[in-house]
Amino acid sequence: MIKLENAHIEEFRGIRKLDVDFHRNTFVVSGPNGSGKSGVIDAIEFGLTGQIGRLSGQGTKGLSISEHGPHVDKIKSPDAAFVRLKVFIPEINKSATITRKVSSPRKPKIVPGDDDVKLALAEVAEHPEITLSRREILRFILTEPTKRSEEIQTILRLDEIGEVRSALYSAQNKLQLAHGAANAQVLSGRNTLLSHLQISSLNAADLLKVVNQRRMTLGLAELTEVNSDTQLDSGLSLADKADEFNKRSALRDLTALSEAAKTFADLAKAEAAAMIVDIEKLEFDPALLMALQRRSLIEQGLELTDGPECPLCDKSWDDEEQLRNHLKGKLAKSDEAGKIEKTLLKNGLVLSAASIRIAGLLSPVQKLSASQGDLTFAALLSNWIADFETLKSKLGKVDEIIGLKHRLESGWVQLPAEFSEKLTALTAKVEGKPDQSATVDAQTFLTTAQIRFGDYQATVRKSTAAGIALKRAKVSYEAYCSVLENELNTLYDAVQKDFSGFYREINDDESQFTAKFTPSEGTLDFDVSFYEKGLFPPSAYHSEGHQDSMGVCLYLALMKRLFGSRFTIALLDDVVMSVDSGHRYEFCKLLKSKFPNTQFLITTHDRLWAEQLKSAGLVTSKNSLEFHGWTIETGPLVESNQGIWEEIAAELRKDRVARAASALRRHLEYVSWLLADQLGAMPQFRADGNYELGDLLSSVLTRVKELYGKAATAAQSWGKTNERDAATKKKEILSRAAQTSNVERWAINRAVHYNAWANFAKSDFEPVVSAFKNLLACFRCESCGSWVYVTPRINAESLRCACDEINLNLKPKPK
Amino acid sequence: MATLQQEIFDKFLAKLAQSKEFDTDRIQQLRTLLAGNKKPKLDDLVKVFSSATASEKP
Repeated sequence: MIKLENAHIEEFRGIRKLDVDFHRNTFVVSGPNGSGKSGVIDAIEFGLTGQIGRLSGQGTKGLSISEHGPHVDKIKSPDAAFVRLKVFIPEINKSATITRKVSSPRKPKIVPGDDDVKLALAEVAEHPEITLSRREILRFILTEPTKRSEEIQTILRLDEIGEVRSALYSAQNKLQLAHGAANAQVLSGRNTLLSHLQISSLNAADLLKVVNQRRMTLGLAELTEVNSDTQLDSGLSLADKADEFNKRSALRDLTALSEAAKTFADLAKAEAAAMIVDIEKLEFDPALLMALQRRSLIEQGLELTDGPECPLCDKSWDDEEQLRNHLKGKLAKSDEAGKIEKTLLKNGLVLSAASIRIAGLLSPVQKLSASQGDLTFAALLSNWIADFETLKSKLGKVDEIIGLKHRLESGWVQLPAEFSEKLTALTAKVEGKPDQSATVDAQTFLTTAQIRFGDYQATVRKSTAAGIALKRAKVSYEAYCSVLENELNTLYDAVQKDFSGFYREINDDESQFTAKFTPSEGTLDFDVSFYEKGLFPPSAYHSEGHQDSMGVCLYLALMKRLFGSRFTIALLDDVVMSVDSGHRYEFCKLLKSKFPNTQFLITTHDRLWAEQLKSAGLVTSKNSLEFHGWTIETGPLVESNQGIWEEIAAELRKDRVARAASALRRHLEYVSWLLADQLGAMPQFRADGNYELGDLLSSVLTRVKELYGKAATAAQSWGKTNERDAATKKKEILSRAAQTSNVERWAINRAVHYNAWANFAKSDFEPVVSAFKNLLACFRCESCGSWVYVTPRINAESLRCACDEINLNLKPKPK
Repeated sequence: MATLQQEIFDKFLAKLAQSKEFDTDRIQQLRTLLAGNKKPKLDDLVKVFSSATASEKP
């Protein structure tokens, strides 16, 4: 797997342009709701996998990367929307850059294009589960057992295992059908042979008795045994073998067919009637029929799926897995249709076996009619046999069965016109032939016996082979299921152990916490203990916050099992929003102690949580980013304190005053918002929290002047004249800077708005930039670069910076 | 192929190797068929199960 070094995001989702340096470390992006944090997660997920989780799955119908990936102003030019990530691949000790455009999400540009780099990044692309949002947590914890089983199986890639099992099961079913058909052929072949031999059961003694009688007539040596190499007509000359016509046998074949034909109308009558009922159900319920037809189509589609292009409609999906899940979802919706499909096929199988039996009776008569020169009847029988072959193949496919309704209603075995007459005529013709001499009878008996014995042996071999294949399929399926069950049990044991351990680390008040997964046919029950009072579903007694921490713990346990030591990156999108601050601190410790080699990219709307991540040592100021708002024109409003003046200067060098003005505005908005908060400034209260820049900056100026005044007064009271003078000097510098920037007048007069700056000439705007640069410098430490703040926030006692280079006492000496 | 899938795959083939129904050649055919980490085609599986060994050929 990989670690992130940096990201460049452009015109993607809610982001216009953003650069983030991750330094391969855990990183936090904080900001209020709607400030664009999740856009960063979306961008990284897209860069790595070509997917955006938020645009797929339940409730996202109609959303797509191509249409909703670009910034809303760039919908018509998706080429402008792209993400470029620099990643480090520990396993090969290489860094690489992957650039992915919304216009071609499946074709990232990877530099260097080394095979090992491409392979590593291709593997990452196969794992969208590196992203966890609260939506996924709910999928694990609060879902029903069948859905949870699916979700967890998906995250652990068990769906692929399920697909192998399903294929093995299908193979077993197909071979079962083939074996059934082969057995029916054996039965048919045996009946034909027995009919000719005139014995009731096929055993060696009876067979040898009737065969040896004829052989003795012909003076041939007796056969003493029967095996697969036995030639019943051995010793006959080729000329003698040429005549297959045996009058008595022929008459028996004709009689057998004639008698059987009387019962054809009743063959598999109940099954045919049941099929008609099922077909009518489909006819009366078009939705059911459509579900069934789609089912068949979707099954074919699943079979043919080999990539992200749908084989049914050519629609391009983000990836093959998404397409497969879509098709599987459709299949699941047609369960009732599935039941009808099953009974139709089951009854069809009975008709199919009957067809084989009829064809077995027709076949010797067809040969007889041909040998006797009745070519018309021979052709009629050939066509009828072919008709049963066609019927047999149709009975194996549901959509074809539906088309057989009329045939089933009118009697699925219809005697062809003139069949009875021609059969009678052929019988009369055979009967009219002179009786064969004992010699000819014996010769033709043996010749026909050998042909039918050979045919029977062939069907037996085919049936044996089909049986062996079926046995292999069964052994294979059972072996797979057995291994799968053992591995899943081991897996769930490991996951529940890790999960419980992680959860206990976060929730030390539940030191006896345990969990239990209970997998059974397609479901996964999940129960957790509640203060040693027993096992209950997670949502039974635990609070929302506890459920959230369960979700994250389960995710971490699953990732540990899935990747082991290769779990190097996870994107956690606002996942502990309901967890209280005490437990979040423990969560930080868990991440730090149990996953020291994993880079977490965490987003949160909670500033306190962002601060906790820092104080717990999970991230540093360098590895954090704060958004303080978002606009459709600018995207997330980010503090870019390090490079803002260089950025503005660069824009001005290119005479792009409007861009420079926009950057200055964004920066001032951020700093004003931050300082108003850190210094306890008091702008006029607004219930919607939508403060204007003028309101904030003006109140910050007032507040800082007040604080410097307080510092000077306090220093004076303690007799610290140097500190008093320093505070007074700072206040004077601030007043001058404020005057130069004219911020107060600007703040009062709303007409002087930043938009006006956009129309300034470069030479007019440069002094504005310089004035604000000097003004903002008054609020930050020259040594550490941090913005000043008061502590404590209520009844402030000192004004400080992060390194304490600025540390002004505000509390005067008690009188 | 991810670790878990590989473990199941290996143990499955090892279990088949203990069965008299599967010789080395047939296990190798299954290994090739299932190694692609994708759902095997039904007809390909049926072919592997149905192909006759030397001793089964007539």
